[in-house]
Amino acid sequence: MAKGKREVIRLEGVKKYYFMGENIVKAVDGVDMVINHGDFVAIMGPSGSGKSTTMNLVGSLDLPTDGEIYLDGHNIARLSESSLAQIRGKKIGFIFQSFNLIPNLTAKENIMLPMLFQGLRIDERELKAEKLLELVELTDRKNHYPNQLSGGQQQRVAIARALANDPDVILADEPTGNLDTKTGEKVMNFLEEFNRKGKTIIMVTHDPELAKEHAKIVYWMKDGKIEKTTKTKKAR
Amino acid sequence: MISKESIVYSLRNLIQRKSRSFLTILSIFVGIITIFIFISFGLGLINYIESLKTESTVDKINIQPKGVGPPGLDDTFALSEEDLEAVDKTSGVIEASGVYFKPAEVRKNKELRFVWAISYDPEKPLVIEMFGTKIAKGRELRSGDSGKAVLGYNYLLKDKIFSEQSDINDRIELNGKELKIVGFFDAVGNPQDDSNIYITHDDFLEIYRGNSTGFNWIIAEVDSERIEEIIEKVEDSVRKSRNLEKGKEDFFVQSFEDLLEQFNRILLFIVVFVIAIALVSVLVSAVNTANTMVTSTLERKKEIGVMKAIGAKNSEVVKIFLFESAFLGLVAGVLGVIFGFFISYAGAEFLKRAGYGFLNPNFSPILFIGLILFAGVTGAISGTWPALRASKTRPTDALRYE
Repeated sequence: MAKGKREVIRLEGVKKYYFMGENIVKAVDGVDMVINHGDFVAIMGPSGSGKSTTMNLVGSLDLPTDGEIYLDGHNIARLSESSLAQIRGKKIGFIFQSFNLIPNLTAKENIMLPMLFQGLRIDERELKAEKLLELVELTDRKNHYPNQLSGGQQQRVAIARALANDPDVILADEPTGNLDTKTGEKVMNFLEEFNRKGKTIIMVTHDPELAKEHAKIVYWMKDGKIEKTTKTKKAR
Repeated sequence: MISKESIVYSLRNLIQRKSRSFLTILSIFVGIITIFIFISFGLGLINYIESLKTESTVDKINIQPKGVGPPGLDDTFALSEEDLEAVDKTSGVIEASGVYFKPAEVRKNKELRFVWAISYDPEKPLVIEMFGTKIAKGRELRSGDSGKAVLGYNYLLKDKIFSEQSDINDRIELNGKELKIVGFFDAVGNPQDDSNIYITHDDFLEIYRGNSTGFNWIIAEVDSERIEEIIEKVEDSVRKSRNLEKGKEDFFVQSFEDLLEQFNRILLFIVVFVIAIALVSVLVSAVNTANTMVTSTLERKKEIGVMKAIGAKNSEVVKIFLFESAFLGLVAGVLGVIFGFFISYAGAEFLKRAGYGFLNPNFSPILFIGLILFAGVTGAISGTWPALRASKTRPTDALRYE
């Protein structure tokens, strides 16, 4: 561990196998990974390389077949569903390729939702949501439903939602995948800014340029294993 | 926690799927309306029968021939003067009075109607006490009256029995014999009893000369404290007077209370039976609601995944869907009791005009609240399984679902 750096996530021999009849699909096959506080990590690889499964495991959306996952020093590989939900909601913010906003909630209500699940009072939820809307420059769109927003706007709402509970870690799964270059750039700038403010960002992408340009560390995955780890110029 | 966001979210979802929500509500609604109508009328009828148990009825017993057909139409057996005397002499019997009744044709101003003619002893008007009615106009029969009649309430109304309303001193013809009207009784509440024509025994026997073999009823006023014991004694006396062996009686003795109890039991059975049928329709609608909720959870599988990803516990997901199904039930319940109330109310008004004033529904607040809650709980129960199933969705599976 580098000096002065706090470890946020540690994966030890993590495996995720899917059993399809006689076949075993080894989606993740023995991954070790340490992510420190304040890192901007990209997990790179072609489709089927296991990068999304790895992210799901890191984000405790899924449990590993084998191995240990530590989040802030706590082993989350063996926790119950409800405890996982609680930890996830508090410590991790998710950004998805297809935004995944709740269609029947407005931008503001979408941002309030994670705070609701953490038991915050309504006035606290409203106040925080207003602040986050300001941060992602969408105050004037707060009462719009997702289908009334452009892709870029939806992704910014998703970013605000990911930040709602002030998590240490933001997991972004192909965050620019459904956006044009310019809008994508804006979204990436937000992520970089949050990283500068101390958030740990883990991004899954298949775009090497995006990874090199924004991340500090890149994990290259292939066939469920980490092929190599590189540091970009940003790390220096 | 039930929060503003989750309620708003649920309501928007229900509104978005308008037609499905509407049909689900409709299916529960139909069952609730049916149950409301039957319970309100059932309770009303039971209350009506209870109301008949007044001071003037608790001490009455009646002795009837066990005929094959309805009393008054079957003359195979009838009770004699000797039987009446035997009843009267039984200890515990305060007084006893025989009653004749037979179908009669009554004519007034060329209009002919078929009603019941009843005769009683004006000295002992026990049958009138039992009907629980009083004179509304004119006077009661007096002993020695000849060619006089007291009529039921409906003769006071226009276009009810006759096109014109009747009045004191009007003449009617009963099976050919002219009678003068001297009085009218108050409404009993059912069209049959309110159409009766009351006359004295002498007039009755004259009209039905040779056609009557005896009393159709003997009514006795007894010491109400010892009523069970007296019934047995009266049975004994009448058996002796008719020379019959025990177990081979051609008559039966019953207290008015027992008769009402018996009515009530039958009534309750019918009401429960009909409600049971209505409950089947509620069960069907519960299955329908469950189906709606299953569809809804499948459609929103991805949303469920997202909610779990951003920290929703299973219980949070359960609550959302339970709330939705309970809400559908509640809406159906509220609409059901409102419509049920208006239908029962209108039905009762209609029945009242038709002369069935005793069919008066009872609108107890418990009925309203109870049925609304019942509908809500039915909705919630229907939603339980779909909600639990939805909550167990693994976030990764749900997020992959398109």
